[in-house]
Amino acid sequence: MTSMRVALLCLVAISLQLTVFVDVRVFGVAPEMLALVAILSGYFGGSQLGPVVGFAAGLLWDVYLPTHLGVSALVFAVTAYMIGTLEAGLFHDSRLQMGAVVALATMATVVSYALLNEILGVRGLIDLEMLRVAAVSGLLNGAISLAAAPAMKWAIRSAANARMAPKPVNRA
Amino acid sequence: MPPAQHTGRSRYRLALLVLTSITLLSLDFRSFGPLDSAQSGVRDLLHPVTSLVDTALSPIGGAWNAAFRYGDLKTENRELRRRIDDLTGHAIEVEADSAAFARLQRAVDIRFGEGIPTVAATVLRGEVGNFDTNVVTIGKGSNSGIREGMAAVTGAGLVGRVSQVDRTTSTVELITEPSLIVGVRVVSTDEVGLGHGVAGEPNQFVIDQGPAWPDNGDPALLPRIGSAIVTATDSRYSAEIPVGTVIDVATPDGLAMVITVELSNDVTDLGFVSVMLDIAPDEVPLLPVVPSTLVPIEIDPAQVDSAAGGGSTP
Repeated sequence: MTSMRVALLCLVAISLQLTVFVDVRVFGVAPEMLALVAILSGYFGGSQLGPVVGFAAGLLWDVYLPTHLGVSALVFAVTAYMIGTLEAGLFHDSRLQMGAVVALATMATVVSYALLNEILGVRGLIDLEMLRVAAVSGLLNGAISLAAAPAMKWAIRSAANARMAPKPVNRA
Repeated sequence: MPPAQHTGRSRYRLALLVLTSITLLSLDFRSFGPLDSAQSGVRDLLHPVTSLVDTALSPIGGAWNAAFRYGDLKTENRELRRRIDDLTGHAIEVEADSAAFARLQRAVDIRFGEGIPTVAATVLRGEVGNFDTNVVTIGKGSNSGIREGMAAVTGAGLVGRVSQVDRTTSTVELITEPSLIVGVRVVSTDEVGLGHGVAGEPNQFVIDQGPAWPDNGDPALLPRIGSAIVTATDSRYSAEIPVGTVIDVATPDGLAMVITVELSNDVTDLGFVSVMLDIAPDEVPLLPVVPSTLVPIEIDPAQVDSAAGGGSTP
């Protein structure tokens, strides 16, 4: 059931990316909706579920991008894993913290995507424009994450509940 | 579950995903056919969904453009006000329809590539990501006979090259893409060369391979400013498709010639395009191989050396 809900979320994200965010851009930059799905899955699903969702979201995004298939899948999976691992020690009760984590992770994702493509021979992605795209899309994703977080929690609620449950106190 | 085991399983899973990604990348590099078909299948499968969402949510994009593209709208408004003076009240609606019709007419009124069938298509959307700035998606695909490598044109000239074909949609790589090499001919001098788009300059095209700077720098031998540039016979596309006009001729080193061209098409504002349904060779055009040696090959180089040395060798 979780996979169905995640698939639906990915479908909504790709539909928004291909329609609304072709026009709705801030300083010419669109939010990275599929990266947002990957990052939030790492944030709420942890390092077990996050990379799988990130990989699937990245693969779906790769289908529409002119770059090589697998680049976004690789970057999103690794990002989701790192968020899932690093985020384990943080508190989960602050929306501001989540927005900041998503913004920074999106910036890292965009830069990693450009770097990996450059390594693979796609020229023209590494320049000052890339930093601008990373910064603006990071901020946009950070803002959108406040609205998107409940949807991700709903999609992966069983995994998220297990992860967010208070840890038993060892009184020994 | 103990934390160590949990982390180990996560790492194992991540390693599997990374390996899968690398496998996909290597298959994609080899243009593995079934992988292309699978991608095309996914796009075809999702096309009805994205079309539906597009129709439902298009007012959002319209409202956004109205709110935040104020500068563009101001210019447009000035132009519209001028026209409104000459038109009656309901003519605005008619005008919008006429404008769309005129754009369609410009797209299908092809005066070059005689005998080559074309298919007209609506431009569905521009770039979808933040890095693929020189592509558009059109609303016709393999069902309409479009194949990869075909030229997309309007009445004004070359728009780009079909780079990806699905059943009902296709992706066109625009002529402004710096990595898209086009074989062209300078009409005034009849020289051929290779050109490409310029990053950040959506209306410019540069020919930097082929034409050589005249030895004596005689301006009469240079391409005229305003001279037409068309596709060359050896290019990937049909010959004589207009590309643009020369706006600058320069040399960086006194040997090579760099010709800057203003594109005849405004690819930033495309409504419709026509795809020329001819089979093009799917290879990057190459310039004719010119023997680089100045010494006829039947002459023994040893003899040349001895001649240069003043004939002292017996």
